[in-house]
Amino acid sequence: MLKKNASSKLLQREQRLAYFLLLPTFVVLVVVALYPLGLVFVTSFTDRTFASPREPNYVGLNNYTQLLGMTIRELPPLIDEATGLQIVDPKTGEPLYERPLRILPREPRRYREVAQFSFFGKRYVLGATDPDFVKAVWDTLVFTVISVLLETILGLGIALVVNSSFKGRGLMRAAMLVPWAVITVVSARMWQWMLAPTRVGVINVIFQRLGLGDGNIAFLTQPEWQLPSIIMVDVWKTTPFMALLLLAGLQVIPGELYEAARVDGAGPVRQFISITMPLLMPTMAVALVFRTLDALRVFDVFQVMLAQSRYSMASYNYYQLIGNRAMGKASAIGVIIFIFIFIFAVLYIRMLGVETD
Amino acid sequence: MSQSMVKLVNRVIFWIIVGFIMLYLLFPFYWAVNSSLKSENQLMMTPTTFIPRDPVTKEFSPTLDNYRAVFQSDQFVRGLRNSAIVASATTLLSLAIGSFTAFALGKLRFRGKASALYIVLSMTMFPQVTILPGLYAVITGLGLTAIPGMILSYLIFTLPFTVWVLTSFFRELPMELMQAAQVDGATSLQTFRLILLPLTAPALVTAGLLAFIAAWNEYLFALTFTAIEPTSRTVPVAIALFPALVARQEPFGEIMAAAVVVTIPIVVLVLIFQRRIIAGLTAGAIKG
Repeated sequence: MLKKNASSKLLQREQRLAYFLLLPTFVVLVVVALYPLGLVFVTSFTDRTFASPREPNYVGLNNYTQLLGMTIRELPPLIDEATGLQIVDPKTGEPLYERPLRILPREPRRYREVAQFSFFGKRYVLGATDPDFVKAVWDTLVFTVISVLLETILGLGIALVVNSSFKGRGLMRAAMLVPWAVITVVSARMWQWMLAPTRVGVINVIFQRLGLGDGNIAFLTQPEWQLPSIIMVDVWKTTPFMALLLLAGLQVIPGELYEAARVDGAGPVRQFISITMPLLMPTMAVALVFRTLDALRVFDVFQVMLAQSRYSMASYNYYQLIGNRAMGKASAIGVIIFIFIFIFAVLYIRMLGVETD
Repeated sequence: MSQSMVKLVNRVIFWIIVGFIMLYLLFPFYWAVNSSLKSENQLMMTPTTFIPRDPVTKEFSPTLDNYRAVFQSDQFVRGLRNSAIVASATTLLSLAIGSFTAFALGKLRFRGKASALYIVLSMTMFPQVTILPGLYAVITGLGLTAIPGMILSYLIFTLPFTVWVLTSFFRELPMELMQAAQVDGATSLQTFRLILLPLTAPALVTAGLLAFIAAWNEYLFALTFTAIEPTSRTVPVAIALFPALVARQEPFGEIMAAAVVVTIPIVVLVLIFQRRIIAGLTAGAIKG
């Protein structure tokens, strides 16, 4: 009885100490994360202007509807009144449709064109009240999916090579840390120079020698090259991180399993499919979600290399806040990004699982 | 083909792949070094040259002018100093605060531990851009200038990460150590200070390095908070907004020299501590 009492007292003391030790961390997190998050949430319902003394007005969900307002309208074909047939562009041979500007609604808000597409022989236009934001979300998603996919494939390849023993393996593992250690802004600048739009840029020279392009590809200004270029930079910078995670996963697979498989006559391909992949899956899943969360937040590369010509969600948020001083709208973008990340983060934590003991 | 031929071919293919990967990883950095040693005229040569060559004689002729210019640039030198201050202060603060919390999470028994761990873990994934306007309001509300403002706000990503890495190290220390100390009459805090903290020195180095690199790297907050205070700009902001001497023409030679200057110390640091860093990066990624 006495002993139990003493140990529960000890436990109580331990508990008090624990709360005391946790306090500073949680105070900091409240000041730099939770309180600002609350502020942003409240501001997102107002028309507050950045760095201005003007009193903000409450505007309800206005910022959100402005950002997310989208509509799809059918574009009627342009009919030649003489023949009753659809007019065809004499140069390209493409059939012509009504201009989206005349179809998209203007009241109560003006919708502008984001994209056109054909579906079952009919032509449609996607309009949005803030086409830049819709494009930013789309570009960020495309960027995330493609770069994470490429990083995983390349990272796995590098991890497999480094995992086999050969002379110079240590050197290679050291080299893997170089792109990771380069400041993101610096790597963006390095690639910006390599991607220069004439033959002063090394990528243009290499492309030309390989018979691609005329040596004057404007990688960072031609819309069709912008995303691939950005993805290339990000893949270079973060593949090593992916490879390191996967390498760590490979190294905990017991060697006896391969030994046994070899005795049973399984070749390297079979070993990879039946042993390596299934055992690497948990690590890979964690690495994937971790990278996905990072890619969704991408800012530095977009901001440095594309500035105001094309946005990621984060760089559009920054532009609205600093460039446009629309603090209310920027806050609403922030909340939308937060919700995106939150969904993925829950997934991540579920996969990782927290061990308390 | 004979057995040994197959082996040889496999060997050759393997080394080609290794060579290719090495080239891929290191080429952009090589290119920055190469470009930093070129003069303005050499940079504008078409097609570009793989080593700095004289435009007329085509002989190897590097120049250190860009490095001289970079070290004479106030903005860059100040940037280095600001970055060093901000990154060191952030690192020390997060280690000091984080090690207490990690000790509690890794070794003490208390109610609500699981939720505390969940909160810390979820904070590592916090989208910093979301709170940008709110954080700006907090910094100006507290009357902080840009440098203390950055130090405080960088804790949002260094602190949860530090706690996470240190907790996993504390957890691995044998419980018997603590029990033995307690039998000898040491309080929990004494046990922490005298026995556990010295043992976790390697973990502190790991977490500290990663925090330092993350803070050294940060761009978004730095860009925002120094917008009205250009003298407080850190290295990433200085390099992103490198002043052009000739209008509309970016001084890429100097930018590349600056890139090389800021990358080499970090690369050296990373190579010295590579095992620690890899262990820290992969902490928590592998179950079991």
